[in-house]
Amino acid sequence: MDFYFGLLQIFGVHTLLGLSAYVVLLTGQVSMAQAGFYAIGAYAAGAATAMFGMHIIPAVLLAGLVSAAIACAVGFPALRVKGLMLVVATLAFGEMVRMIFFNLTWQVERDGALVGPNGAEGFRAIRYFPENGWEIWQVTTLIWIFVALVMAALWWMDRTRAGAVLRAVGHDEVAAQSIGLNLTAVKVGAMTAGGFIAGIGGSLYAHTVTHIEHGIFGVLLATFAVAYPILGGLGSVFGTLIAVLFIQGFLVEGLRFMGDWRSLLFGALIVVAMNLRPKGLLGDTPLRLGGLRRKPSSTPALQEAD
Amino acid sequence: MTLAKFLTVSTLALTVAAPALAEDKTISIAGFGAASGVVGIFGQNSGAAMSAAAEKINAEGGVTLADGSTAMIETTYYDDRCNAEEGISVLRRIATTDALVAVGPTCSNVAEPLFGILQAKVDDDGDTGLQFPVFTDVAIKGGLAGISEWVFRNTPSEAMMYDNLFAWIRETHPEAKTIYGGVEEDFAHSRATWYAVMKEAAIKHGFEVVGEAQWLLNDTNFSNQVRGMRRAEPDVVAISAHPFTTCGALREMARQKVEPEVLVGLTSSSSLETLSGCAAEAEGMIIPTSFAPVNDDAKFAADAVAAKGAALDLHSAAAWENFMILRDVINAAGIEGTADSRDADRRKIRDGLAALTEAEGLLGQNKRLPDGEAEKPYVFVGASDASWTVVHAPDS
Repeated sequence: MDFYFGLLQIFGVHTLLGLSAYVVLLTGQVSMAQAGFYAIGAYAAGAATAMFGMHIIPAVLLAGLVSAAIACAVGFPALRVKGLMLVVATLAFGEMVRMIFFNLTWQVERDGALVGPNGAEGFRAIRYFPENGWEIWQVTTLIWIFVALVMAALWWMDRTRAGAVLRAVGHDEVAAQSIGLNLTAVKVGAMTAGGFIAGIGGSLYAHTVTHIEHGIFGVLLATFAVAYPILGGLGSVFGTLIAVLFIQGFLVEGLRFMGDWRSLLFGALIVVAMNLRPKGLLGDTPLRLGGLRRKPSSTPALQEAD
Repeated sequence: MTLAKFLTVSTLALTVAAPALAEDKTISIAGFGAASGVVGIFGQNSGAAMSAAAEKINAEGGVTLADGSTAMIETTYYDDRCNAEEGISVLRRIATTDALVAVGPTCSNVAEPLFGILQAKVDDDGDTGLQFPVFTDVAIKGGLAGISEWVFRNTPSEAMMYDNLFAWIRETHPEAKTIYGGVEEDFAHSRATWYAVMKEAAIKHGFEVVGEAQWLLNDTNFSNQVRGMRRAEPDVVAISAHPFTTCGALREMARQKVEPEVLVGLTSSSSLETLSGCAAEAEGMIIPTSFAPVNDDAKFAADAVAAKGAALDLHSAAAWENFMILRDVINAAGIEGTADSRDADRRKIRDGLAALTEAEGLLGQNKRLPDGEAEKPYVFVGASDASWTVVHAPDS
């Protein structure tokens, strides 16, 4: 059973990573900086619990806030550019973060041992969960509570004016600006929200693997972050979740027995999926739970006119 | 049929069937590591070595269980792609199977988080870490076994090997004064080996470090790094990198005509990959290793693994040795080998490994240390005519 709980943990943290990119993608921006925010969250929360003995909940929230603050600061200059230039700028930011942690050595003594980031050798012994008697199902539950909260918040946001604003900017910036929307505020806001979610994801990730190092947070992870919402579809938060299940559950775990062929199939199946469902597995039309219960009126405008 | 006849026939039938049932018993030992990707060859070799070792054990009668019956060893190898998250997932999966112990992983960057999820101290009720014995064959970065008491390693002590290697170089090349280091900076093992092992040992034995060049595992261009090396004109060049970038750096050194008096390599590069990638450029490179086919046992193991299309090097030889050590531990531990006794059997294997002070290895006796690490016999091999030949055996 532990194996399945472990898998659920992986799905959970990757869903948070994907959702962090999803928010930014709603505004039409492709950010490759999410792995960097994820790394910041991982190191911040790891430091909070392993070096300073903080409880996991405030540590996770603190990590989210730190990542959000940095995402906000990065967002202002980075979002002055768009399209491919933004991809390059955010990619450079992600690599910069990685290199900072590659060179960061900051250790404190706890119980006679040095704890903290140790440059390229990484940050060892982030063992809050096992040391505090958390069973694996409890850790999994905690992760999924965060996932559920984030998904619910994004789902709710998508139904409010804030969601409409994000999508408006994503669909047509000129039109959005013409109706008085502040593009910079919207984009930086999305980037900040994405940074917060990535920070939470990273902090939980660090505590499930107990050891983190710069190499984990590279271009590949940044690519996955963006791939999840694109593959799943931007219609709703569930697209990201479906994509995580497809990639981590089926391609990574389900095909493990195939050895080297798995890596080949990995790319091929994503290409096939994108060809069969070019707008993502769940499409890009917002999914409405109400629509599942009752058929929408075919001519709402006319009915109103009557 | 009377009741007496029925009981007699039943007893006879059970007596005849019992040996057959005993022969069907199996003890599962799981292997895991990187069997695909850049360092996939390490896992492929280890997997083949485990399979060959299991066949040898089974051909000799298998292992003896607590009730005196015998059981065959069965093994399955799981690929973690040298990825920490996948390594943890693989070990959790192994723990749900009948496997009593796991041999792996390949990569030190997988080993560190993996060992972190295990219970740190045995019988610590406050620690909910996974309780499963792991006997590592490849991940060689120093000091990792100390992370958990469920971890044991059969990897050589690089600190000891390089200390003796530089002492030997000092003795055999008294005119050599300076050393230049080349390090694969983003790989946990190679980085730690240069900064914490090679460099320290070189300085200790009187070499002056005149420069360092860093590169990454996926780098393919080494011109700048080697240019610095050429300017420094070192007597000794030590390359702490895996075969792929070792060959890249060596080719660039040949192109720029950097010809040090002594060339030292990383333990993990004393493999066929280095020779198949750059035999000519590696000519003369000296590497300390815990395996070379220098005796009958080692030759037999090398042949058995070669028959499976793989190669026995210091890493896969450790996988072979691990199976032989586990055979002895299982024989002595009173393993019951049933589904109900699974957790108890795992604990017995852990305790058996912890109790070892010595173990038989392919090059001689391996010393088992209290922290789960090992001190293994070793030799210095040199690349010569596209093969590794022993240039010095410290204990001989």
